[in-house]
Amino acid sequence: MPTDTVELIRRMAGGDRYAFGAFYDRYAPLAFGLIRRILRNAAEAEEVLQEVFLELWVSAHTFDPARGTPEAWVVMRARSRGIDRARSIRRKSEGMAQLSGGTVPDAVPDPAMRAEGREIVRGVLGQLPASQQEVIELAFFDGLTQSEIAARVGQPLGTVKTRMRLGLEKLRELAGRLR
Amino acid sequence: MNTEHEPFSELAVVYALGALDGEDLVQFRTHLQTGCTECNRTLEDAHAALAHLAQGLSEPPPRRLRSAVIGRIAGDTGPRAGARFWTGFRWAASVAVAAGVLAAVASALVAVRYEARMGQLAREVSGLRDQARQQDLLLRLLGDPATQVVALAGLDVSPGAQGRIVWHEREGGLFFATNLPPIPREKAYELWIIAAGKPIPAGVFSVDVEGHGRLRVAPLPGPVRVDQFAVTLEPAAGVPAPTGTMYLASKAPG
Repeated sequence: MPTDTVELIRRMAGGDRYAFGAFYDRYAPLAFGLIRRILRNAAEAEEVLQEVFLELWVSAHTFDPARGTPEAWVVMRARSRGIDRARSIRRKSEGMAQLSGGTVPDAVPDPAMRAEGREIVRGVLGQLPASQQEVIELAFFDGLTQSEIAARVGQPLGTVKTRMRLGLEKLRELAGRLR
Repeated sequence: MNTEHEPFSELAVVYALGALDGEDLVQFRTHLQTGCTECNRTLEDAHAALAHLAQGLSEPPPRRLRSAVIGRIAGDTGPRAGARFWTGFRWAASVAVAAGVLAAVASALVAVRYEARMGQLAREVSGLRDQARQQDLLLRLLGDPATQVVALAGLDVSPGAQGRIVWHEREGGLFFATNLPPIPREKAYELWIIAAGKPIPAGVFSVDVEGHGRLRVAPLPGPVRVDQFAVTLEPAAGVPAPTGTMYLASKAPG
């Protein structure tokens, strides 16, 4: 783990805005790409990115380098806020659909997002068997729970859990090779 | 391998993916509270692997967002104004003046950092005082035979959520929630006391990333028999009567 990043976070906790700027420069691309992948909408992603970094600024004092890397800290916060926003959008759509007596259309990603989705499948996830890719994508990017995934893919809950475990083990192995 | 622990290793991975639900979620959170080092290590490893996955998606955000975010934390655009100052300064000032100004800027920076640190310490002290007050109250209430402990169960939208309220008619009480879903900034959970068939607002609260929330509840004016407690999702400022989805409720009086 780069100790200079930990030092940046420590300085952020002390109210150092310059450290925050450097931290933003280093991690905003990581968070933004992930949030865009989750929301499939650039305008929403820009808003959520700002919220995520404000949260990281406020909670910098809670970061514990012994419990995880700065990358994981940023990614898990960005993922969580992205999924929150996606659910909120979904609930609003459902409310509107109920009022109008219609059904909720699936989100239509822009063409760039579709290309990006393919890219990630070709990348790290592409090295996993398709069944493991599917459950990890549905959980991590789409925010579905294990029961929802089991219903979606038509497999028993136990199979879904096992696929997630095997997929994550493989991802860990791939991440380890690159360190 | 410890076979008794094996199911938790699998649950830890699903938890790291944010996909655990139902009884599994309750069971795993209870297990995590034991401080299991193996599960904590699994979670850290899984988060690192997911961070690696996200790295494949990296994309620079529009440049204007940087100024917007920094402007929001500072209330102004301090760093950019500073840069303009230094550029002009190098051309205009003599070495002696520069030394004087540098000293002044350094002092100002130290003062700003000092004030920020003092502010942070003050917030921490205030937070610790609140915690100490709540713990004192909890101990006092638990020692009083008139105190009731009421359980709230998660409803359809949050089946894994749970709540407890330690309630005393004259003292009010303390409410604790676990496993509630995260909510957007503009929303808050609101606790309701249902008495004589009417919901009375008892305060709003938010939850941390683990879904934990707590709230000090003021006593109701006058002796009123409480029938039920419930939690709904409302605008962050709270509302006088419930409008949103209900997430938790205690049993209705039989």
